[in-house]
Amino acid sequence: MTVAFRFVCLLPVLAMAALFAPAKAQPVDGGHARVELVSERAIAVPGETVWFGLSFEIDPNWHIYWLNAGDAGIPPAILWADSLAVSEDAIGPFQWPVPELLPIVPNEIMDYGYSDRVVLPFAVEISEDAQGPILFEGIADYLICENICIPESAPIRLLQSVGAEQVPDSYGGDLIIEALGQIPPELDGAAALTQSGETWTLSVATPQLAGRTGEARFFPNDHDIKHAADQPVSFGPEGLQLELTPARSTTAFPEMLSGVVTVGEAAVAISATPGAILPGTSDGGTLSAPAINLPVLIILAMIGGLILNLMPCVLPVLSIKAMGLVSAAASGNGREARAHGLWYTAGVVLSFAALAAAIVGVRAATGIATWGFWLQDPLVVTALILIIFLIGLWLLGMFELGSSVQNVGGSLAQKQGPAGAFFTGVLAAIVGAPCTGPFLGAAIGTIMGQPAPQVFLVLIAMGLGMALPFLALSFMPSLQRLLPKPGAWMETLKQVFAFPMFLTAAWLLSVLGALAGYRMAAMVVAGAALIAFGIWALKSAGQGGRAILIAVLGLITIIPVFELMGALSATDTHFVGVVRALAQLLVMAIAIWVVARLSTERAGLIARIGAVLALVAGLVLPVVQARSALAVEGGSEAYAAVYQTEAWSPERVSELVAEGRPIFIDFTAEWCATCQANKLQTLQTKPVTEAFEAGNVAFLVADYTRPDPLIAAELQKHNRAGVPMYLWYPPGDSEPQVLPEVLSIDLVTGLVEAG
Amino acid sequence: MVSFTRRNLGLAAGMATAVVLTAGSMIMFSADATPLAEPGQMAPAITDAVTSTGETISLDQFSGKTVVLEWTNDGCPFVKKHYAEPVVNFQTMQSDASEDDIVWLSVISSAPGKQGYVDGAGAEAINAGRGAAPAYTILDPAGDIGRAYGAKTTPHMFVIKGDGEIAYAGAIDSIRSAKVDDIAEATNYVTAALDSVAAGEPVEIASTAPYGCSVKY
Repeated sequence: MTVAFRFVCLLPVLAMAALFAPAKAQPVDGGHARVELVSERAIAVPGETVWFGLSFEIDPNWHIYWLNAGDAGIPPAILWADSLAVSEDAIGPFQWPVPELLPIVPNEIMDYGYSDRVVLPFAVEISEDAQGPILFEGIADYLICENICIPESAPIRLLQSVGAEQVPDSYGGDLIIEALGQIPPELDGAAALTQSGETWTLSVATPQLAGRTGEARFFPNDHDIKHAADQPVSFGPEGLQLELTPARSTTAFPEMLSGVVTVGEAAVAISATPGAILPGTSDGGTLSAPAINLPVLIILAMIGGLILNLMPCVLPVLSIKAMGLVSAAASGNGREARAHGLWYTAGVVLSFAALAAAIVGVRAATGIATWGFWLQDPLVVTALILIIFLIGLWLLGMFELGSSVQNVGGSLAQKQGPAGAFFTGVLAAIVGAPCTGPFLGAAIGTIMGQPAPQVFLVLIAMGLGMALPFLALSFMPSLQRLLPKPGAWMETLKQVFAFPMFLTAAWLLSVLGALAGYRMAAMVVAGAALIAFGIWALKSAGQGGRAILIAVLGLITIIPVFELMGALSATDTHFVGVVRALAQLLVMAIAIWVVARLSTERAGLIARIGAVLALVAGLVLPVVQARSALAVEGGSEAYAAVYQTEAWSPERVSELVAEGRPIFIDFTAEWCATCQANKLQTLQTKPVTEAFEAGNVAFLVADYTRPDPLIAAELQKHNRAGVPMYLWYPPGDSEPQVLPEVLSIDLVTGLVEAG
Repeated sequence: MVSFTRRNLGLAAGMATAVVLTAGSMIMFSADATPLAEPGQMAPAITDAVTSTGETISLDQFSGKTVVLEWTNDGCPFVKKHYAEPVVNFQTMQSDASEDDIVWLSVISSAPGKQGYVDGAGAEAINAGRGAAPAYTILDPAGDIGRAYGAKTTPHMFVIKGDGEIAYAGAIDSIRSAKVDDIAEATNYVTAALDSVAAGEPVEIASTAPYGCSVKY
């Protein structure tokens, strides 16, 4: 009733509207869409370019197609009548508003198109000599689909008045303006397409999209990519990255990939050319879905692990394993060799798994994990130094473990079998892991931001790769036969290998010094001395227990002697001091007397207990001290002082950029071997320092020896997992170039000269 | 001693196999699950396919012969385009194929209730009605064959060489429209591929984006 009433009321209004409406054709029903040709002008002026629009009002659930229909479908087109008075050159192509995704069959068939309402604008040049109305007549041909597809045709017709004065057509004008507002603007920025294994990474850096969030999608103009595939996205401060899947495995990497990138409501038309992934277009590799090429990464990791065996810090540890294997092979005990191989592998792989767990844990706790972070902890470094020192002593023959010697208890020898092999593996992994950087920098960089299972897979693969040579050896008697015969050379080789271990310890000591100060380093050296003493004393306690005890007591006696001297030499004699020193001397004398009267066995026992205590103290005290080690003098400032330059900060960079000075930034760390090599071979050489001076280059240092969230964030911004990273800002440029991890003098001076 | 060594080798081989299997399964696991029905690849197997006449056929049984797969849906305007008079494009291609000892298989992957779904009798009636003469019309209402080949549209064409390798995959011809008039102007990719295969030459255009209605899985 109400509806009818309203309609009746509206009738006069409708009649009025019809009366005053501009001369325009009524929409034509093509079947499932009302089609209409509209113009923004009621009267156009000769010589002007007028926007026309082909308007579709589409039945619910039906859709028509975008310029690229996707997997199925065809975009609409106008077939102009032969009688058309305007040359077809005067009629521009359709401008295509941003399409919708039409997942016809999820994950299999994806189309791009429009539903409900769309206007496709196109420009028409009205010729200079146009007079009177021009008739635009033709047929709109379009495929329209719901579950089924129907090619429909609708006759379209527009009589465009031409006159001396422009008169807008409000109906057509509104439709066209709205449609033009939906046409994606051209990109104001950069777009690059990068082959990333089997997928392509489309990175787009532009203020038009930076900071936007929402559904992101790339609509391709062509069929290079698989339309139905997911496009995992990652957002960065400069823009975004999309992982695209090539249409076929045989699809050639395109010279140019054009289309529309949308983020939420925002859209940009892009043409991406091949190039490196644009910086700042991801949040550090965390794609919303796994997009790395896992198999390739796993294989890379395995190869990297294999190469680790050759690292100078790992080789000595491995020699331990090798010796055991040579002996086992010589004895023909295949089962023992195999058991060793398996236990060793278990040790390596478990350590790498633990490392993966640590990475995931640190990342969960701090949001950022960088490769080598474990060397930022004084505790870990201290423990490593002492362990490596111990290994050095062992290699040197200071003490023996295992079956090759009989004077150590039989129980220990048995334990050496599986446990020894296992811990060799652990050790090899611990010492080896920091060395992975140079070989696996890029691969590690991608893995650091990946979900936990991937981190585990890749690191375990690395462990497997590292263990592989020994595993293979222990299972292949034919290979074992190639090993040299055991003999006296083994002992010599073993002792030679002690020295790389000491050097490794020295390097770690310098890391520790930078981390926690020279006091901590001295503490560790003292601990090392205690350990050495403990081991020596243990070894000598059998016969010389009494002598050792007396010598130690004698040495300790020096303390009260000095105290006594100090107390006596003071200007006014300090009575309490003298009495205490004398008492102590008495106690020492009694102790020495008691020890001298002990039986050899008892003295040996006490000496052994003392030696073990010294050993334990040597190991534990520095580690305990490291726990409370203060972050000492240093950081970027101290490091910069060494360089005679200034410390990095983002603020300083923007200042220098504003000044128009070129900037070279060295992201470095004490524990980073590559950084040190670059420092020595390039950055501190005369040509480079002279070039920097001549070019007025600001040389900034960011020291990552200790954790620093600012530096970590900057590393991540440039997709680096750790140091070294070298940034070069050409004069006045606010976007840095990321330089290779290994520098050369030519490269750096070349930059300065070019800049 | 010899047997001992053999056992060791066996163990080593076992370990190697385990590593390879693990790596392989990881690769398989992470790789795209879609099979690749692409030119240069072996055609996915078709076994125990039910035809409109109630027979069951396999792709294997045609080995040695060139096979054409045509995804079809009688309601689709793009399919109609190529069956329409006066051009009768598909009918001509089918009869030419049968003369050249080429096996033409029409495949209907429409799901029950969707456009194009028919039973055997229905398919026979459609073929009779439009004068189509494929060697067989395969009924694939579950869409398994269509998905194995990644068929996207009707029509979507595949040419498989006698040795089972896919020689062509994609559109029927070069003009992506539903208009019969365009057929004369267009380059027929399938005919070109069949000519090349017959001549023992590589197919020049082996892969195109198909056009048509979506397959009604």
